[in-house]
Amino acid sequence: MRRLIEDDENQINRILSREDEILPSSGFAVSVMDAVRREAAAPPPIPFPWKRAVPGLVVAGLAAVLALVAGVVAIGQLGRTSTSAQFPSFLSLPLSLPSLMPINFHGGMESAASWTVLALLVTFVSVKLSMRLASGRV
Amino acid sequence: MSATDDQADVERVLAGDIPAFEGIVHRWQGPLINLAYRFCRDRGRAEEMAQEAFLRAYRGLSQWRRDAVFSTWLFALATNLYRSELRRIPARTVSLDDIAEPADARASDGGFEDRDRDLVVRRAVGALPAKYREALILFYFHDMDVTTAARSLGLPEGTVKARLFRGREILRAKLTPRVAAPRLKEAL
Repeated sequence: MRRLIEDDENQINRILSREDEILPSSGFAVSVMDAVRREAAAPPPIPFPWKRAVPGLVVAGLAAVLALVAGVVAIGQLGRTSTSAQFPSFLSLPLSLPSLMPINFHGGMESAASWTVLALLVTFVSVKLSMRLASGRV
Repeated sequence: MSATDDQADVERVLAGDIPAFEGIVHRWQGPLINLAYRFCRDRGRAEEMAQEAFLRAYRGLSQWRRDAVFSTWLFALATNLYRSELRRIPARTVSLDDIAEPADARASDGGFEDRDRDLVVRRAVGALPAKYREALILFYFHDMDVTTAARSLGLPEGTVKARLFRGREILRAKLTPRVAAPRLKEAL
């Protein structure tokens, strides 16, 4: 039985060792060299413009930090207001929600409009700036 | 194939002499295509994969550290590429259980014709799980040299040996009733 297993193994070795070799087609080397020349002729990849991107990244980082701080402050205020309210009932909760909102939500239409204009302005400036950066006119 | 020729050509290419890469292509096109063919069993695809391997080698020539022979680096790069290509688009294989008995199962000598038997064994290798198949392909491609196969696969020798053992075990279990049946009959 053991000899049979060894024989099988030898047979498998023999079969898998005597694989027929295939020859490369006549144009293979030429085609590889064409691809290599194309690769060599191609302009080098454009490096990331760190110098130009750094100010934007810094501003974005600061904005993110400010938003985070504002969020934390708002949550803090929310917590203080809710703990100061004694025996809050579920019925009174929806009525008291507007008073828990940050100050800028109280201004009504005027405040909403000013925030919208500011958001549009920021978007416009960032789009313009990124387009100028992309076209290399800065 | 001389290692010094490879080194000289690499130095020239890195110095900007692009045509010097042709020497590397001429020396290694056969082995790289044949290795790719063993992975995919499709001549056209094998040439495409080998071409991509040469391109990657060209791009990464500066990453070849001179402590290893150039061919070792090239085979490792090609093997890595072929494995990921085969993972992306697998070669057409049949499952081990579906490998059909050749039509001529009762040949005059009571066994398979050599060609049929070879075909069954190769199909069975193609149907093995990838990790065993890759170990077997590299082992036989490198003339049954475990060390070189392990380097090409980027695996420790022990892992390759274990995979070879397990791969052969699966093959034997699947093929013994087909390939060794005549000998078994003779032994009885």
